Amino acid sequence: MSKDKIRWIIFAGLFLFVTLAYTIDIKMVSSPSYEVQKSFDYIESLPEGTILMVSFDHEASSLPEVQPISLVMIRHAFRNNLRIVGLSLFAEGTAIGYRTLNKIAAEYDKIYGVDYVFLGFKPQHIAAILGMGESIYDVFPHDYLGNLTDTIPIMIGIENYDNIEMVISITDGDRAVQWIEYAGPRYDQKVMTGLTAAMITSYDPYLSSGQLFSVVGGLKGAAEYENLYGVPGKGNRGMPAQTAAHLYLIVMIIIGNIIYFRNRKRQGRSS
Amino acid sequence: MPTRLPLLICLVSGVVMFLQYFSRHPVAKLIYQTVTNDWWQVIFAFTLIVGVASFIKITLRKISQKKDKTYSLIALGGLILMPVLALIGGTNIESPFQWAFENLLAPMQATVFSLLAFFVASASFRGFRARSIPAAILLGTALLVLIGRLPIAEHISESIPDLTFWIKNYPSMAARRAILIGIGLGSMTTALRVILGIERTYLSGK
Repeated sequence: MSKDKIRWIIFAGLFLFVTLAYTIDIKMVSSPSYEVQKSFDYIESLPEGTILMVSFDHEASSLPEVQPISLVMIRHAFRNNLRIVGLSLFAEGTAIGYRTLNKIAAEYDKIYGVDYVFLGFKPQHIAAILGMGESIYDVFPHDYLGNLTDTIPIMIGIENYDNIEMVISITDGDRAVQWIEYAGPRYDQKVMTGLTAAMITSYDPYLSSGQLFSVVGGLKGAAEYENLYGVPGKGNRGMPAQTAAHLYLIVMIIIGNIIYFRNRKRQGRSS
Repeated sequence: MPTRLPLLICLVSGVVMFLQYFSRHPVAKLIYQTVTNDWWQVIFAFTLIVGVASFIKITLRKISQKKDKTYSLIALGGLILMPVLALIGGTNIESPFQWAFENLLAPMQATVFSLLAFFVASASFRGFRARSIPAAILLGTALLVLIGRLPIAEHISESIPDLTFWIKNYPSMAARRAILIGIGLGSMTTALRVILGIERTYLSGK
């Protein structure tokens, strides 16, 4: 069989396997990891009116994996009457952040400017992170809709990180590292992150050192958070498909190795 | 002189920004705010102009050479369409810009990203072989972590999540820390070389 044919069979197999798993409604419950439980408990413990800064630091490409995390975390915050200052340090995150906040705010009857605000995008992320430590009004003189930031009710008195309880960076890369490295040591800002599963190991040293408060990682992290929150969402919906894909990969690795060892044995015999 | 002036600007800027970090004096704070809020943003705006101009130039050249003409036209159309939609209809939730982002850009990007799963599946079949002892260890670890990330892992065996946790928190983190320390030392050395004018690649190596 030609290499191309094998490749197409593998592709078709994965497509069928994942589609099938996605169409079957199976509930996969797993115990929450320590980090997810810590994130949930912390948000649950905050008093009403506390300000959280949610930074949408990701591209549209990773939306299927990171959006379930931002959805459930913002829902949790709004349910507990916490207030949210949204922003983006990634150009594409701007539209994503604005839409996500508005969508969830409508579910909880939250008012723009009072319960939440979206500041928009600022280029040069390190400069923006450092600048907000001194003055958020200087870095974002206007919000996403063009209103003067210091006149928006939620922003009155929110001058810098001293007035922000926690920064939650929803990311698919290393942008949260910049929050940790620049907002953390210089301004003593607490940072939490929701990120793609592939990036979790990059953040482990920061978690271990205590520079990063906690992590909600990948679709599994979102599913665990949703279970704690009590309302299954996109995270739980995607778990069977992710499980199917992982199992498929495992099977492929095993089959590939069986073929490899069989061929090696044959070659050994013939030589 | 053409070389000395940029070197001097670089030296002074580097030293001033280094020293201001340790000072709470109002002048230091002012310098810091001016650099972070104004100068860096201005530099970024110029890089954006350079980026867009370069993209248009390359795409137009491709169109004139009839090389991937259709794709180039679509790319150029997209570059023009999004700012035009934003300028005409604004960027609020009901605007055409938001519609285009939600229904065109986001699904297209997610589709391209999801193709990665297919290539990983193909690569895991063809390339992930236990050819040697280190490769076999890597393979075993990968299989364990793959299973450990599944919700069914704890139902197969309670020790699988623990083992995955151990791999993540000891061997993997040790390697990650070593890389981070290396990057940190490398960044410091490069910064010092640039500030002191030893590293001059930004001046075409002059």
